[in-house]
Parts: sequence; structure tokens; C-alpha cells
Amino acid sequence: MQYYDTGWVGVAVVIMLVSFVLYNIRRARKSDGQVYIRRIPGLNAIDEAIGRATEMGRPVLMVPGLGALNAISVQALNIFGHVSATAARFATPIRLCCGNAAVYTVAQEIISEVYQKEGYSDRFDQDSVRFVSDRQFAFATGVSGLILREKVAAAFLLGEFFAESLIFAETANSIGAIQVAGSTSNTQTPFFIAACDYVLIGDEFYAASAYLTREPVLTGALVGQDWIKMTMIGAVLLGSVVTTTEMISGKQTSEEIATPAPVTEKADWSPGTTTTYEWKPLTEPRTKTRRELLTNRIFSPKAPDKPQRELEPEAAAAAPPTEGGTE
Amino acid sequence: MLNLLAQSTLPPFSVEGGSQQAYQMIAITLIAGFAIMAGLMFAPTKLRRPIAVSVTFLAGFYYVLLWAWPKPVELATSEKPLNQTEAIGRWITDALPGVSSISQTLAALLLGLGVYSVLRLHSTRLMKKQKDWLFSLVLLISMFTMVGVGYADYNQVIADPTKASPSGWGPMQYAKDFLFDGMLQSMDAAMFSIIAFFILFAAYRAFRIRSVESTVLLGTALIVMFSLMGLVEYASKNAIDSMTGGDPGHFLNNFALSEVRDWIQRNVQGPGIQALAWGIGIGSLSMGLRLWLSLEKSGGN
Repeated sequence: MQYYDTGWVGVAVVIMLVSFVLYNIRRARKSDGQVYIRRIPGLNAIDEAIGRATEMGRPVLMVPGLGALNAISVQALNIFGHVSATAARFATPIRLCCGNAAVYTVAQEIISEVYQKEGYSDRFDQDSVRFVSDRQFAFATGVSGLILREKVAAAFLLGEFFAESLIFAETANSIGAIQVAGSTSNTQTPFFIAACDYVLIGDEFYAASAYLTREPVLTGALVGQDWIKMTMIGAVLLGSVVTTTEMISGKQTSEEIATPAPVTEKADWSPGTTTTYEWKPLTEPRTKTRRELLTNRIFSPKAPDKPQRELEPEAAAAAPPTEGGTE
Repeated sequence: MLNLLAQSTLPPFSVEGGSQQAYQMIAITLIAGFAIMAGLMFAPTKLRRPIAVSVTFLAGFYYVLLWAWPKPVELATSEKPLNQTEAIGRWITDALPGVSSISQTLAALLLGLGVYSVLRLHSTRLMKKQKDWLFSLVLLISMFTMVGVGYADYNQVIADPTKASPSGWGPMQYAKDFLFDGMLQSMDAAMFSIIAFFILFAAYRAFRIRSVESTVLLGTALIVMFSLMGLVEYASKNAIDSMTGGDPGHFLNNFALSEVRDWIQRNVQGPGIQALAWGIGIGSLSMGLRLWLSLEKSGGN
């Protein structure tokens, strides 16, 4: 049996998944993004936390983590943009501490733009968005010091965190700050769950901006993500059924023997390989091994043969003469 | 002159450091950079977004090509590509270090902005004698001392490589060792060790019986923790053995602490983590797509 070329299977699957997202964005734009998104308590708590900070006259702290400028940091900054917009309306002071210079630059642009859009440019303090350090524990120390000195009323810890996550969460907890946290890191989420009031778990983090803004592009993408999940659940169920059936009733009656051989048909060319595959009948049918199951074969292609290639002039001059050639 | 751009291996699309070609390339890049900046500054407002969108698309498109374009099979540098597909595949792969270095260069430039932020914030606090100005003074002195000592040490080691090993150290190397390994690393380690206590406090709060969920969490955590304690696991195994009479096929063996822990990790924890990773992966795909196609609007509005 010939295996599928999984290189193309993989690309085709990704194109299908991408088309789900793009199609739903287009659909949501037409319908003005009116879709139902289930309640996420951590995001509902944003206004409550800012209101508390306003009443207490203390700042709101936002930390996008130590990660570089990537999708996670941009998503964190999107949420912080929403937090800052609410804080700007209530004239609540904000502190956004960055551990990466690129994130700091983008954060300053975003937050300044938010204050402008809200019509409170005069309330924007340039030093409210600051770069602390790109060294993990220097960053942790700097932010913890700020939490304790300024006695922040609310802390939003959203982004890419490492070992410093618990230092922030526990320090903020020690002064009674409301904490909303979310990380895409599976190793840090348990720490946040143990120490924070509200936690965005897994892809809730990516759903946050759609939930907060209800923008058609974002809600459409969220629906597209749900389509992808449904497809994947379907694929897992189908794969389970096929594999189980094959393992129980499928019998292997022959096995494939691969015979690789060197190819040196063209003189002065680099040698290649060619593999011949032959099906050899088994003396007695047996249960299929894991490698012989259909689901495994689909995603495990045969290694392609190395073709013979012409050598670059310098390499050809240096190469020892080879025997004969058919050309 | 200091070879600040020293690299162990020269990636493709690069030239020898200090060569005339390198200086020509630096000059061309600078002129092109200034031309692009001037072009962007003087471009009509309506054009700025399409320019940004195009640049973003092109930058992302390279990585899409890198992933999707068929890779040549074992194509050595001494071999010519067989056809156009292989030639393009080789070109895309070879360009990777060059493309990556663009983002590294940008990050290095942006670090300057970060340092400027630190300097502005703390010098203002110092000048105006605001609250906690003493901390700012300590920070600025530490920063300049570390930069000065580090740079002097680097210069000296380049000029005299024997100073790289402790036997040839001079005052500057001792100073750097004291500041970096003696102080900074120790303070880092001190901060890291605090986490142990924080874990204890957080675990105490998390494992209190407040609801059904927290009780399940407490029970599961206790099983996993006890199963990792050698003595408890030994006692549990002995108890099971005494009940089963040492029969390895006995049903009760499934209730040994290590078996229960393995079951939890295999059937509850593992799939849970994989499901979360799946969700995050799909979220990243969607987010990346929106950024690449400039569909994302930042700023919370």
C-alpha cells in the first residue's frame, strides 16, 4: 500500500483550519459580530477591579510578562488597552511594567493612543508605561517593589510568565490587591489559580479581546476557533473508532520490505539513493503493529530518496573520479 | 577597533566583518533606512496604513513560505539544486539567519529605548527629590558601574585573551566577577529561592476545603504528593502486598499509591494539559493570522 504524502496532508489541514477562521471573520463582519460568548468571570472582574482602585485612589498594575513581542504579548496589550480605557475615564492611575524593550515600545504607543481616543490625553503619564529590566529576577524584584511601594489596588498579570509569576501574585495578594491573571504557559497557570482571584485559563486568554470589545473580526475569529475545535474533536473520535476497529479485527497478511540502494548513474554527480518497496506475504496473519495502523500511516510518511545532483564546480574539481556513467 | 559584530560562523547573505564590502553594505543599509524613514514620514496619511500592512504581510509571508515550500531532500552546499523548486527552497532556508537577524537588530535598537525609559524615570525622580529618590540613585549608580566595568573588561579581554582565565585576571576582571557573579547572580538566586515560601503560602490557600472542586483538588494533590514520598509509597505497596499475597495479577494492585498517581497523570492531568495546549495553539493560529493580515486593531477599541 502506498503511504499518503503527509507533507501535503499537513498543509491541506492547516489551510482548511485557516479558512475556517477567515470565513467566520467575513461572516461576522456581515452580521456585525453579534454572536454569543459565554461568561468569563475574570474579564467581568476588570471593571470591578478598576472601580475599587478608583475608590481607593491607588494605581492599577498591568504586567505583560517577560515574553518577546509575539502574539501572546500583543493579546495582553490588547486587554491592557481596554483596562486603560476604563482607567482613563475614571482618572485612575495605571502602571504598566514591561520586561522586554520591544513590548515596552508598543505598549507605550497603544496606551497613549487609548488615552487619546478616550479624549483624556492630558491624563496620560508617560512614565506610567515603563521598562523595568529584561533580566528575569531583576524584573520580578522591580515589579514587586512597585507593588509594595505604591500599594496597587488591582493587578492584571496577563502574558508570558515564568518562575516570577508566583512572586507577583503573592506580593500583590499580600497587600490585598484584586488580581486577574492569565498565561498561556501550562506550568504557570496552576500558580495563578492558587494565588489569584480570577484566572483566564488556556484559550480564554485569546478570547478576551473578543469578549471585551465584541468587534466583528475578533468574534468571527473566535467562532472560527470553535469550528476548528469541533473538527478536531470529530477527527479524534473518528481516529479512535478506526484505530480500535483495526486493532481488534484488522489482520496483517503481508509486510512491506524496504531495500535502499545507492544510485551513481551520472558521473561527477553526487550519489543518491533509491528505495524499492516489496510486499512479502506472512506465513501466518497477525495483529497489526502500531506502525501499520492507518492513522499512523497517514501521519508518518516514508523518508524520500535522495536524488543524484550535479556538484558545484569547486566540489566537482575536488571530488575523486567516479567509475563510469550511463550518460 | 572592537569587533562588536563578531560571529562564530558567517551565515549566508553575510560578508566578512571589517571588509570593504561590509562597509559598503552598512552604508547602503543606512542610506536605505533613512530613505524609508523619510518616505514614511512624508508619505500621505492615507498611504501609511497600506505601507505598514504590506510590510507586515511580506515579513510574515517569508515564514509561511519557509513552512510550506517543499524542502530539498538532503541538499548539500556542494550540490546544485535539481530544479527551480529546490533552488527556491534552498534560497528560503539560507535566508533564515538573515531574516532572523533583522528582528534581532530591531530588538537591540529598542533596548536603547528601554534604557532611556529607565534613565528618564529615575533621573527625574532624583532631580525632583521625589519619594524613594535614594533607590533611584542606587539604581543609576549600579547601572553605570556595571556598564562601565563590563565594557572595560570586554575591551581588555579582547586586547589580551589571557585575561579571560582567572589566572590572568586584572582589577577590572575581579570587579566584574564581584559585581556580576558575586552580587547580581546571588541576588537573582535569593529572589528565586523566595518562590519556595510563596509556593507554600499559595498551596495553603488553594488546598483549603471551600467547595467540591477545591476538595477534589486537595484529594488529588495529596495522592500525588504522598506517592512521591518514598516512605509512604513503600508502606502503601507493603499494605497492598499483604492483602494480595504478592500476586501481581490481583485486582487490588490497581489501588497502590503509585498506580493511582500514574492513572491520574495519564488519564486526567495529561489529557487536560493537551486539551489546554490545543486551545492555546488554535488561539495562537487565529491571533497570528489576524496580525499577519493586519485584521487586528490594538488599543482596546
